[in-house]
Formats: sequence, C-alpha cells, structure tokens
Amino acid sequence: MPDLPNREPAKAAQAKIVGNAQAVRRFDVPVVVDAAKCVSGCHICVESCPVDCLAIDLATSKATMKHDDCWYCLACEIDCPNDAITVKIPVLLR
Amino acid sequence: MDDTIISADIVVVGGGSAGCTAAIRAQEALPKGRVVLLEKANIKRSGAIAIGMDGLNNAIIPGHATPEQYVREITMANDGIVNQRAIWEYAVNSWPMLQQLDAWGVKFQKTASGDFDVKQVHHNGRYVLPMPEGYDLKKILTRQIRRAGVQVVNRIMGTRLLVEESGGQRRIAGVLGLDVRSGAFAIIRAKAVILACGASGRLGLPASGYLFGTYENPANAGDGYSLAYHAGAELTGIECFQINPLIKDYNGPACAYVTGPLGGHTVNALGHRFIKSDYWSGQMMLEFYKELHSQRGPVYLKLDHLAGETITEIERVLHRTERPSRGRFHAGRGHSYANDLVEMHISEIGLCSGHSGSGVWINERAETTLAGLYAAGDMASVPHNYLLGALTYGKIAAGHALDYIASKDVAGAGAETASFSEAIDAERARVLAPLARTDGIPPHQLEYKIRRLVNDYLQPPKTATRYERGLLHFARTAEELGQLGASNPHELMRAAECGFILDCAVMAAKSSLYRTESRWGLYHYRLDYPERDDARWFVHVNLHRGKDGTMQFLERPVAPYVVPVSDSELHSYSQLRIAEPANT
Repeated sequence: MPDLPNREPAKAAQAKIVGNAQAVRRFDVPVVVDAAKCVSGCHICVESCPVDCLAIDLATSKATMKHDDCWYCLACEIDCPNDAITVKIPVLLR
Repeated sequence: MDDTIISADIVVVGGGSAGCTAAIRAQEALPKGRVVLLEKANIKRSGAIAIGMDGLNNAIIPGHATPEQYVREITMANDGIVNQRAIWEYAVNSWPMLQQLDAWGVKFQKTASGDFDVKQVHHNGRYVLPMPEGYDLKKILTRQIRRAGVQVVNRIMGTRLLVEESGGQRRIAGVLGLDVRSGAFAIIRAKAVILACGASGRLGLPASGYLFGTYENPANAGDGYSLAYHAGAELTGIECFQINPLIKDYNGPACAYVTGPLGGHTVNALGHRFIKSDYWSGQMMLEFYKELHSQRGPVYLKLDHLAGETITEIERVLHRTERPSRGRFHAGRGHSYANDLVEMHISEIGLCSGHSGSGVWINERAETTLAGLYAAGDMASVPHNYLLGALTYGKIAAGHALDYIASKDVAGAGAETASFSEAIDAERARVLAPLARTDGIPPHQLEYKIRRLVNDYLQPPKTATRYERGLLHFARTAEELGQLGASNPHELMRAAECGFILDCAVMAAKSSLYRTESRWGLYHYRLDYPERDDARWFVHVNLHRGKDGTMQFLERPVAPYVVPVSDSELHSYSQLRIAEPANT
C-alpha cells in the first residue's frame, strides 16, 4: 500500500485561517420557573438578576433562565412576588 | 442604533456599596447638579453585597477599638506595605458611617443594653459586628439613592474612560460603555468620575469548572482595574492576590466570621486546630494551604460540637444572608452543621483590596493618579477595607470629587465632545465588533480558556518560569480577543469582560514577577524567592500604562507611619500556626 500523501503542512496552514463552525449543546441550569405561577407582564426577577441571566420568553411571556451565568445568589427567588422560582445549586457544584 | 448620550457633573461607575454612598453624598451636595450612577446590573441587587451581608468585619467602635489599634492591626496584616494615612482616614470616618447606616435602618447586633455587640475575629483586636438581619442592606441603600434623587442608569457597563489631554496635562472627561440590554454604545461626559466597580472576581477558574461559581459576585469582572489601567492611572500591589478559604465546591464563605465568635473553628483531618486566628490574611492562607497539602489535610470548619440552639442561630444567619444558598448546598448532600464537618478548600485567585491589598492606587482623598478620577471600594488600594471600607470610602471619594469639580480646571461636561470623536469612534468599533462576527468564538469559551490558564500558571505558589510561560499564553490569547463573536448584547458584555479578565491576568503575572521576594503569606509566595526581604522590597510596586502602550513599573516608598508599629509587631501575622502535639 502506498504511503498516504502528507497533507499536514497544507491543512495546518488552512486551520489557521479557516472560519469557525459551531454546535449547540444543552445545559442544565439552576433557575427553575413554575410557569403556572409566573405572572405574565411581571419582570421583577429579570431586573433583580445581578448577572442578567434571566429573560422573558417572548413566546410564553414567562421568565426563563436564558444564559448559563447563574451565581445561585437567590435574588430572583427572594424577589419573586408569587413564589414561582426555585434556584437549584448548579449541577457542577451539587 | 443611536448612541446613548448622557452628561453629568459627577458619574459614579458601579452601584454597589461604595458607589451608592458616593452617589448619595455627591447628590446631596449638588441638589441641582447631575449625579449619574451607572450600574451594569440593577442597583437593587448589585455589587458584592447583592444579597446583603452578615456582618461588618472592620467596625471601629468607641469603647471596643480605636483608630490607632485598627491602623496598627491592618499594617501588621498587610506585612507593613500600607499607606497608613489612607487606612487612618477610613478608621476615623467609619464610625460616623456606621451610625449613618444605623439611622437608615440597617440592623446591627446589639447587646441587651443597646450597645453594639462587637466580636473578636482578627489576630489582635475586636472589630467584627454581626448583622444577623443584614439581608436588606442593598435595599436600604437603594432607598437612600432614590430619596437623594440620584439619576440611576441600570444595565450600562463602562468599557473605557474618556481622558482629555491638553498642554501635557491629562484629566478625566467621561466614561464610554455598553448598554448590555439594547447593545447601544454609551457616551457619558462628566467633570469627575468615581470608579466603584468592585473586585476582579472572575480571574481564576473555580475548581468546579463552573465559570460563575466565584466567591465574588461574578458581575465584578475586574472592570475597574481595566478601566483605570487603560486611562493611564496607577495600580498597586497587584501581586498581593485575593485567595479565600471557602466551602469546597460551593466556593462561598463558610463563614468563620459568623461562626468563630459562636465557637466554630478550622480543624485539620485529625480534628486539631492549626491556626490561631481565622481572620483572612495571606499568612493564615499559607498555613491553610500547607495543611491542605499535608498528610493532615483536608481542612474543615468544625461546628458539630456546638449546642443545638447555637447551630440554629448559625443557620439562621448563614442561610438567609450574603450567600443564602449555602443551606440548600449542604441539605442537597444530606449534610448538617450538627452532624458533619464542613469540608473547606482554598479558592482560585482574584484581585480585591477589600480582602487583601491589590487595587487602583488611591491616597487618603480617594484620588487616583489621573486628575478628576477617584476610586473606592474593593477595587481601590486601601487594604483589608471590606464592606464598611467601601461604604466609607465612597463618601470620602465623593467629597473630594465635589471639591475637584468646584475648581476651575476641569474638563467640561457636554461641551466639545467632538474633540473626542476619534477615541469615541475607536471604542465604539472595538466594543461592538463581536456582533459582526456571527461565527466568532463564543465569549464563554474564551473566558474559560483565559481563566483556566490563570489557574495553570498563576495560582500560588509562584515561580518565574511558570509566570513567564503564562504570559506567553496570555499574549496568544490576546489575539483571540479579536476573534470573539456575539449574537446578542448579553454576549457583547461577556466579550468585553474577557478583555477585563485578560488585562487583570497580565497585571497579576507581571507584578508578581517584578517583586522578587515572598510576602503576604500565600498571596505572594514565590518558591524561587521564598524569603521576605524588607531591605529590598519594603516598597509599593505600582504599574501603569505608559505612553507607548506598554506596562510600566515603578516603586513608591512606604510613607512614614502615622501610627508606630514595632518590628516584632510587623511579624506577628507570621506566627499564626499552632504546633501539632508531639505524639501525632
């Protein structure tokens, strides 16, 4: 069997300049919102979050943890007027 | 999208503890003036004490402690490298601030006779005042902000300072930033700027690998250190890291200041005490580090010998304030203070003068080395300043900023913005660039990499070889900042923060290399220079961004002490270890 051509110099140079590819992966997040209790139109928790990881889901009008940035500080849970939020300890720490 | 344009007499960057008292003080003195408080989060829940605080660590209350005692204690705790005048200014102004907080409704622990119930945690003096109901502190500050009529601008993060240069003179002219919700670029012109951006709390990577599992509020990404650096202001003692003894995995305080006065203490795996004082100093951290890495490790906080009602009291405080999710962390593992020791570890590194001594260089008037720029709180260089230091120095900074803007020689707010158009355009382009790179590197991945490299190369003990390797990696990573991509304003914020974090990492590495001795226990423990060398290194190591854009170092002498400290006292924090009994 003949030797495979050594493409490494060319590919190594190509790898330096080629654009990026991306994948989407699921995350288990700490802030769990009870949609039945979350009041549409209220965004107190979104304003409370010191790292801005919550947002109102425009499709459901309910709060949701949008970014995996939670400090598990409980501000959202404490400030929610309707006890709709439970914060879990992030899975990596649990 | 149009820029957000704001004009102010004084702008305060950061609405945590220091920023709130600064803004209140400034607005009260300028009833018709424009005082703007910029906050990257929302002031009702922001800063290091977003969820309140369980006590003051450095209260100097007449009858319990004196300013002289306190200045001496902190001089010892910081191995002598202090500007005592700056600590003294805190010491004499903190009691009026404490009374102000009391009047505002902050609840401190008091004795039956109504006296403040002060406890001893430090090596020598009594300065710890419990706040078992301190969970409302930030709400109380927010109420006072509203009452004073401060213009609060939430969700805008400063990214660079605007500096006016004319006739060889440099002075502050404003703040440039990003609206982290809309993605708009923000231009805030001001006559004076007070930086109160908190610690560099997202520097090292927690051992859990979770980016936001930090001791400090992770919103505090070192913004203020980076802002001051790029404006050309001096920073000091950056080699004196912040490293904390924390609950393993949870990575929050256990907390010895609450539990110590009630009988809790640190033990090794043999159940023996090995440090005389649980006060967080670099020297204590070095003993903690040695114990963890010895056959007597790991290290625990021991509470299981306490009476049931004492444990109930500890839970009532620890599970409601500062980091209230501690309770569910323990419960989730089926652990309790009554039945289990709390496993401890030492944290990743950060920069925070509030706990150690690294920050933007300020004097006793909170002035930085740039005219019109002031700093206060965890990012300003008053060592071991903690919460009450932030609250006190915010007010001090505002007082002197008011004097400054009353002088004639200030940059005008609002006028001649056009003269800054080049700097403004460049910064707008820099901050918004990741939005155009739809396939760019996601900020959380680059942040993980920078912080993982910080752990690999900068976590003490330190050596020149490792640190120089680290700098090579940081230089390579700096090029990748230009490949960051953001798909929304939130990611744009995180992308800008990667720059802050990398700036802090480089400052931490170069400062540590510069000081070729060991000092402050674990905070600056160099294996290649293991001894403290007062003959050569009894100086402040300061850095700044030079005219050519490179990092420049200079040494500043330690100013003559206002409170004398003897040589033996200067070494008292080096004698924290309790020897193991001979038969073990």
